[in-house]
Amino acid sequence: MGTLGFDLLALQLFAGVALGAIYVLLAIGLSLIFGMLTVVNFAHGAFFMFGAYAGVFLAARGASFWASLIAVPLIVGAFGLLVERFLIRPLYGRGIDYPLLLTFGLAYMMVEGIRIAFGTLGLPFDTPESLQGATDIGIGFFPTYRLFVIGATAAILLGLWLFLERTRYGLIIRAGARDPQIVRVLGVDVSRVWLLVFGLGTGIAGLAGLLAAPLQGVSPEMGGPVLAEAFVVTVVGGMGSLLGAVVAGLLVGVTVALTSLFVPEMAKVSIFALMAVVLLVRPQGLFGRPGLLS
Amino acid sequence: MAHATTAEPAAPRAALSGALERHRVLAAAAFLAVFPLVAPFEALAVNILIHGLYALGFNLMFGYLGLLSFGHAALFGGGAYLCGIAIVHFGAPWWVAIPAGIAGAVAIAAIVGALAVRTRGIYFSMVTLALAQCFYYIFYQASDWTGGENGLRGVDLKAIALGPATLDFLDPRTRYYVVAAFVVLALWLLSRILASPFGAVIEAVRENEARARACGYDVTRTRLLAFVLSGAFCGLAGALNALHLSIVPIESMAIETSGLAVMMCLLGGMGTFFGPFVGAAVFLLLESIVSVWTVHWQLVVGAVFVLCVLFFPRGIWGSILHWAAGGGR
Amino acid sequence: MSAGGGEVILRTENLGKRFGGFTALKGVSAEFRAGALTAIIGPNGAGKSTYFNILSGAFPPSEGRVLFEGRDITGLPQHRFAHMGIAKSFQITNVFPELSALENVRIALQARVSRYDIWRPRARMTGLVEQAGEILATVGLWARRDRAASALAHGEQRALEIGMALAAQPRLLLLDEPTAGMSPEETRAMMELILRLARERTVILVEHKMKLVMGISDRVLVLHHGELLAEGTPDEIRRDETVRRVYLGQREH
Repeated sequence: MGTLGFDLLALQLFAGVALGAIYVLLAIGLSLIFGMLTVVNFAHGAFFMFGAYAGVFLAARGASFWASLIAVPLIVGAFGLLVERFLIRPLYGRGIDYPLLLTFGLAYMMVEGIRIAFGTLGLPFDTPESLQGATDIGIGFFPTYRLFVIGATAAILLGLWLFLERTRYGLIIRAGARDPQIVRVLGVDVSRVWLLVFGLGTGIAGLAGLLAAPLQGVSPEMGGPVLAEAFVVTVVGGMGSLLGAVVAGLLVGVTVALTSLFVPEMAKVSIFALMAVVLLVRPQGLFGRPGLLS
Repeated sequence: MAHATTAEPAAPRAALSGALERHRVLAAAAFLAVFPLVAPFEALAVNILIHGLYALGFNLMFGYLGLLSFGHAALFGGGAYLCGIAIVHFGAPWWVAIPAGIAGAVAIAAIVGALAVRTRGIYFSMVTLALAQCFYYIFYQASDWTGGENGLRGVDLKAIALGPATLDFLDPRTRYYVVAAFVVLALWLLSRILASPFGAVIEAVRENEARARACGYDVTRTRLLAFVLSGAFCGLAGALNALHLSIVPIESMAIETSGLAVMMCLLGGMGTFFGPFVGAAVFLLLESIVSVWTVHWQLVVGAVFVLCVLFFPRGIWGSILHWAAGGGR
Repeated sequence: MSAGGGEVILRTENLGKRFGGFTALKGVSAEFRAGALTAIIGPNGAGKSTYFNILSGAFPPSEGRVLFEGRDITGLPQHRFAHMGIAKSFQITNVFPELSALENVRIALQARVSRYDIWRPRARMTGLVEQAGEILATVGLWARRDRAASALAHGEQRALEIGMALAAQPRLLLLDEPTAGMSPEETRAMMELILRLARERTVILVEHKMKLVMGISDRVLVLHHGELLAEGTPDEIRRDETVRRVYLGQREH
């Protein structure tokens, strides 16, 4: 392979990072919610899809993509708050499977609700004008929008990190993810923290949906495969570990990108093979603690 | 009977594992034999029986063992595809095709199970969902064998040769009785498993994993064996579905099909003997009624799901049993 | 009380356990003799439970070895311990809550006979039911055999647990604070039961109520800050200056 081959490889790696960025956002929301509430949100893919459609809705009413970047996570997160408050909260203390079943059913309703509002067919989603085209990144031209996705994800992660490290709520969330008992001892209203975390996690999922929309278009079913892939990322990274979500998200993105380059027919299956290997070697995930789920 | 705890509120489940079981299978056989004479809706009944059988396989994992799998579509679909492939590509007779479907589902269950039982709790649900999605892609990709997006067409079975007799599988009533015979066989096998020593181990592992381990039971192997058995039931259901529809749609492997088993089991009553069939019947009846009014049947599915979880976790058959046992808790 | 002079049945060599940066157990080497009733005592946080959990196979040590009847059993999976003849009761009550007391013991017995048989009706395995009844009688629960385990009183649940441990016909019985949370009467009954059981097998007992075990044990091990502080007969331990300082001094003014 000559230099051209190397550049191609590097570009593909970069494309993998862009894809991985979306996975990172999904997995980090799942992990946040799980770490705090011990709830696996099976509607996470549906929230992702909801975010994309919220973008469609706003764009049709003349809102700019930039305004949507702010508004979509707020809309989706607000819906998440309602879901936690009225559907999931009654289930605490009733066994770990119930919230999971409920969110699974909720996903059906969300998908069908979107079908009613926007039709069953998929829709295209235009890349914002200022982000169209390609940019020279030294090793070759790379789609500007993907570059933006990587940058935006990095910015969100930085913001999230600052929030968790520097704010009172962040401290409570970190302590709570380690030991829910501590939060009660601190005299904090746990249910408010749970509410906030669910809203935060689903809001980030919605934002991921918006960011993914120009890359893949939108359809009511777009959340299904994404949910499975986000689970792969979470299992690989280790449930409840935010660092694990970031590393595994990028790893999965790069795995998909490289297999599509060399064995395209295996691209979809490759990440599941990755998950299988991790399960065999390290069942708790790369950054997971053993015994966390006992 | 070893544990006559009939006075306890927890009795419905305990009572299932006794000698009564044989009579339940007989009762089911009698009911299924008479049913088409009373209510001639064979097409719907066949659909209910096949899906009830599928939910029964799922129930072994979720209801009896306590592990929530979201990947049973891979077992149902795998059974359907392997049965279909045997007929379409190899011209196999029914008595080869159906076991081929079961074997295929068992093989998939062994793979999914071997990976998933290494994890615990909700990890299990996530891993099974992800691996089922993996099998979806594999069967989607292998379109030479499976027909890919269009599904596997031409799974035709016109007649079943049974020694000197030949059963006309195209006749709705005959078809119903053929499927019903398989269902009764499956019910008998399930009751046998539940009443076996392994049935007690399943119960023990669900009740208290750490204690089961301390008693000397290998929890991981117990779960794997249960998953494989579950795969055999679901594979049979899938194979029958392929023969019934004459086609294996790719959706057989989709996540919605996994959800179907969860839904029916939850609606009927998880961990109860007849719950899966009650759930399948109510679900499919509801579907045929609602579909007349609206195309947005999935909205109802989701709502029933959510309402069941919130307000009706015992399910229909489970509530009946609970009431019959005098429980008011 | 049996003599403490049998062969070594269990030996730990330089056993250590770390949880993250925290050292829970450090360099514990000890021998347990067959037929003896040995108590492991120490103040809260001394590493008793960690030591117990490694002995009973709940988790592997970070370093060191455990030898049972001369065989290295370090890090074997939990279910193998029962097969080898080591049974335990948990610190927190741990039964099959929805099953009857009899079924709890029956299922524990079944583990020695049949674990993966999906075919034979277990209703025909009447021998197990009889044996389970005998064990229930031994631990004083015959009258409560048809009760769901969750409906038993706390002391009865603990006794049931010991019955389940006996079902494995263990040569070594490990008990983790068997009287925790019990009333004085329940405690007395439990102590009598343990004494009776110790006549026929080796018993290792973790306890933090020191007074309780001094009267019944053949040997006593004292753990402190994860290390073995002292070892000897109850009398020797009572006279031991270091033990008095770190342990007795705090409790018995």
